[in-house]
Amino acid sequence: MIKVDNLKKRFGNIVALDDVSFEVNKGETFGLLGPNGAGKTTAINILCGLTRPDQGTVSLDGKADPTVPEVRLSLGVVPQTLALYEELSAQENLRFFGRIYELRGRKLKERISNCLEIAGLSQRSKERVSKYSGGMKRRLNMVCSLLHEPPLLLLDEPTVGVDPQSRNLIFETIEAMKKQGRTIIYTTHYMEEAQRLCDRVAILDHGRILDMDSVENLIIKHGGPSHIEAEFEEKLSDPDKLKSFIEDKNAQFEEAKIRFKTSQPMESLAMLNRSGMRFRTLKVQTANLEDVFLNLTGRRLRDQ
Amino acid sequence: MSKALFIAFKDLKVLVSNKGNVFWVFGFPVLMALLFGAIYSSAGSGPSGIKIAVVDEDKSRFSALYMLKLESYEALEIIHLSQDEAIEQVRKGKVAAAVILKEGFGDGFEALFNSDESRLEIAADPSRKMESGYLQGLLAKAQFETLGNQSVDKKWMRDQIKLLRNDVQTDDKLNSAQAKLYLDFFDSFDTLVKDANDVTFGGGFKGDLLKFSKIDVNKENEGPITPFQTTFSQAMLWGMLTCTVTFAISIVKERSNGTFDRLRICPLGHAHILGGKGLACFITAILVICVLYVIAKTIFKMPIGNLFLFILAVFCMVLCFVGLMMFISTWGRTEQSVGAAGWATIVIMALLGGVTFPTAFLPSWLRPFSQVNPVRWSIFALEGTIWRNFTPLEMLSPCLMLLAIGFTSFLLGVVMLRRQTQ
Repeated sequence: MIKVDNLKKRFGNIVALDDVSFEVNKGETFGLLGPNGAGKTTAINILCGLTRPDQGTVSLDGKADPTVPEVRLSLGVVPQTLALYEELSAQENLRFFGRIYELRGRKLKERISNCLEIAGLSQRSKERVSKYSGGMKRRLNMVCSLLHEPPLLLLDEPTVGVDPQSRNLIFETIEAMKKQGRTIIYTTHYMEEAQRLCDRVAILDHGRILDMDSVENLIIKHGGPSHIEAEFEEKLSDPDKLKSFIEDKNAQFEEAKIRFKTSQPMESLAMLNRSGMRFRTLKVQTANLEDVFLNLTGRRLRDQ
Repeated sequence: MSKALFIAFKDLKVLVSNKGNVFWVFGFPVLMALLFGAIYSSAGSGPSGIKIAVVDEDKSRFSALYMLKLESYEALEIIHLSQDEAIEQVRKGKVAAAVILKEGFGDGFEALFNSDESRLEIAADPSRKMESGYLQGLLAKAQFETLGNQSVDKKWMRDQIKLLRNDVQTDDKLNSAQAKLYLDFFDSFDTLVKDANDVTFGGGFKGDLLKFSKIDVNKENEGPITPFQTTFSQAMLWGMLTCTVTFAISIVKERSNGTFDRLRICPLGHAHILGGKGLACFITAILVICVLYVIAKTIFKMPIGNLFLFILAVFCMVLCFVGLMMFISTWGRTEQSVGAAGWATIVIMALLGGVTFPTAFLPSWLRPFSQVNPVRWSIFALEGTIWRNFTPLEMLSPCLMLLAIGFTSFLLGVVMLRRQTQ
């Protein structure tokens, strides 16, 4: 559905993208995860034809060159910055963009009504956008790109600076789009979002893809061990017996508590359970994409 | 085309949603036409009430008559002061100039033709050179007129001749042949004054020595000729200029708001986007001109020469400024910078185009720039159709110039915009 080959882009001395290649299958949600300045927006801009790459090719649904206007008809792009006419109402914004996407008559009316509902703006559709809250603007910013029901969706950090309620609404909308079989590219620097929404994720840093796989596989490959902390009802009478279950040589044993790292948390928990000791509390901290990024780059996602 | 129309209508909607924009685009040109129309209609004979201070050190009958003559001019407002007070008033900017009638100013021909010593001094405010120039003309006119009136007095005239004879006779620089030539002339002149009867003599000298008559170059119209014919063409131009800046700012605003990129992400070519923007500017400008035209025709009964040529002039002018709008929009990255650059350019164009003062006052090295000044050509084209009675052939040069400037600006704007957005 989307094929990107050896993209390179420089802005003066800054390398924004360095030999980036990936493919996104039909119906897949693909995440570009990286800190600010990693090259995510440049990649999206090249994919939607806003920026020409210095080198490399992009193919959308078999059609090359997204700078051709007709190719962009199958594309819905949610830009990172709010791109709305604040002097107009939500309805007028949607009507304008709908017409640009060649929607007319009843179809246009239906789509406007549907999008207003998705964005939760039906009641305030005739108010000027300038009077909306940040979250409302974000939601409208998103649905303006869904009006023409594009099979390909490019979302560039759509939740930046929004309230939790709007964020959930945006997530639910994206999940609904996934269920409808849309192909989605989602950029973010929030690992929770990538973990929740994306089937596969590419870790992007300084314009290079460091690795690319499903979230689970990335964590297995680069996430490091999980941390388990268990507290028992009674004191540990025979810690050596427990040590034989635990591969972590640095495991810590206290009176009724044990802390250790493991690459197979489920198996470790099952073995602890079989030891016959009764748990009072149990804390399991598994590795996540933050750890993946830390292990791959030596930095945290939001260090910069 | 329909997509460009949608963009244009959206832009018009955005424009009218802001009351400030509506005023500057529609209200301001109308107010300007009315204001300047009122100024021109009450100032047919030149500027009124230039305030000057007159210092009479001569205290002669002639200087008194001269001051009376100056006071009779509507264009002057006279106050009488001492020399120090008068110069102080000039320094403070309270009067345009101080006119000092030195001792001997009333010595008739002697005072007028003596090139060695000036008997009339002017201390003018250096920031009011145009008024000063106009004032010098009035002072000379008053001097000739006072002298003319004085010359009717035969006795005074013969005394003047006697004085001139004495001067020649005592002048060492003249040889005897030259002196004889002058003395013979004075004798003949004295005989003429003595022998001529009062009617013949008075008819020759009495009244204004310098008389002007005006030839009206306005077309003979069916309706009345009004100063609004001039001011409405300027107002139409100001309406255009305001449109140009407003839409140039709207383009940069779209860029800073991100909506320009959103449009570029849509299935639209550059031509659609820029065409839509240009179309909105074009429609607004035409609307402004229509509003001004209706007001001019219905309220001020302003005659328009050839309507077809007028429409042609408007069409060329609007296309020119649409092109210019595209170019100006690329002169900055923010609304503030484009707004400032746009207005600065417009003020300079208006200055060099003869809107604010005559191009004759421009230094010679600046005059060639007015050849590529769209303001100058716009005024020329509009006036050509309203009252200069241009033929279609005469309209060709301003129209072609406007189209050429507009087309070149549009191309430059598109190239710059593409560069900036890639």
